[in-house]
Amino acid sequence: LGAGQSIQKTYDLTRYLEHQLRTLAGTYLNYLGPPFNEPDFNPPRLARAERLPSATVDLDLWRGLTDNARLAANYRAYSRLLKYLRGLDSQVGTVELRHRLGHFCSSLQGLVLSIAGVMSSLGYPLPAGPAGPPPSSGTPAAPNDFLKKMDDFWLLKELQTWLWRSAKDFNRLKKKVPPAVVTLRIEARGF
Amino acid sequence: AQRHSQQDSHIQYERVGADVTMKCGSMDWDAAVTWTANGTDIDDSHLNGSYLILKNVDLTQSGQYSCYEGSSWHLKYQTNLRVGVPPKEPVLMCRSNNYPKGFYCSWHLPSPTYIPNSFNISVIHGTREMVCEKDIFPKNRCHIRYLQLFSTVKYKVTLTVTNALGKNSTTLTFDEFAIVKPDPPESVVAKPVPNNPRRLEVSWQNPSSWPDPESFPLKFFLRYRPLILDQWQHVELSDGTSHTITDAYAGKEYIIQVAAKDNDIGTWSDWSVAVHATPWTEEPKHLTTEIQIIGETLTQHKPLALRGPGYGDPSAGGVW
Repeated sequence: LGAGQSIQKTYDLTRYLEHQLRTLAGTYLNYLGPPFNEPDFNPPRLARAERLPSATVDLDLWRGLTDNARLAANYRAYSRLLKYLRGLDSQVGTVELRHRLGHFCSSLQGLVLSIAGVMSSLGYPLPAGPAGPPPSSGTPAAPNDFLKKMDDFWLLKELQTWLWRSAKDFNRLKKKVPPAVVTLRIEARGF
Repeated sequence: AQRHSQQDSHIQYERVGADVTMKCGSMDWDAAVTWTANGTDIDDSHLNGSYLILKNVDLTQSGQYSCYEGSSWHLKYQTNLRVGVPPKEPVLMCRSNNYPKGFYCSWHLPSPTYIPNSFNISVIHGTREMVCEKDIFPKNRCHIRYLQLFSTVKYKVTLTVTNALGKNSTTLTFDEFAIVKPDPPESVVAKPVPNNPRRLEVSWQNPSSWPDPESFPLKFFLRYRPLILDQWQHVELSDGTSHTITDAYAGKEYIIQVAAKDNDIGTWSDWSVAVHATPWTEEPKHLTTEIQIIGETLTQHKPLALRGPGYGDPSAGGVW
């Protein structure tokens, strides 16, 4: 699969996941109950939520990212978000929701692999390990149920925002990486 | 006698329906005075001593009220009465039609207050207050520049409207992506395709307000229908700014519109301006032959000077 097709496939998977998450998050927030499922719920972002990889970025900085840095940021973010999401997956009460979360985690794992595929097709090394501390270390478990739900709320919101950002990231890469040229380069390096 | 008016008049705001009492400056209650409204004397039935009493005022009673001392006709008091109402909750709308540059907010009052109002808008993003730069035109609008993108923190916009009779406010809370709504596509053109009686070629341009279609591509929604039918046909297009309709009814005039949306986020624009077009139709054959015969007959009887290229010369494609 050439880099161009690989990027297109990753972009399509991002769109698919974004669509899936929209309904899944709605169901999950209803499971958490009020106020988490209220459209205007606008909680302060507690320090706990800062451990999540943030999609927020300065516009000019985002524009100026190299392809490698752009892909690496995505790779690291989803690797860490997947770990948090798997933490969610095991505790959810309802079977149906647990099943849907499990399915979503598998798809998200597919996205991580897809990003890795794009990076290798462009000749970029995979980031050694996700930036920042592993999800569970150093951060005590939520002291109460409300804060636990708050963690879940911010996790889903950050994931949704990353998927929006990634759609733009991969769209930008699609434009910058014409399939033909890259294939040529790969052959030249004796792959 | 000459009325002397040197007093600076001030503005007095009163609510519709209020009872208003005006004193004649420092004049005693029992002093002889004359009151005028916009220069017209007010009859004594409105006076209580030297006080002017206006019951249950309405909008028509706005105006300049003056009080003159009875004998010297010196102006003792003057005010501009402005009758109005306190502001109702304003209607506020925020939208990003130039993502990712920023967004604008615009507002209006659901009903007039008849007196001057002042608006104050505050935009909070997390813990940060952002500047909403007032637009010169339209008046009730300002715009905010995004400093960061892809934020999970909502924006909170509060608009406060104040006038002399009261104050009101409204607040909007929204996510960055929720308010992305491009302007409609521009320069929509629809043309018949020669020799194709069921085709129409439609083209358009990205809205000029959309700053970076490369990084933030738009997708489009095309709707078209023959004028004789009410049912629209739709087609969604995620690449390019043109489309060929291939299933048009031959010979029927069509109305066509286009809408735009960011490829991944936000909502659809309004529909573009409607354009009309009719697919290509074959020239009716029998008419052509008759015209040719008439043309040839005329040519034989015309003076040589009138015969030239394109004028009655069939080979030049001229019909006569």
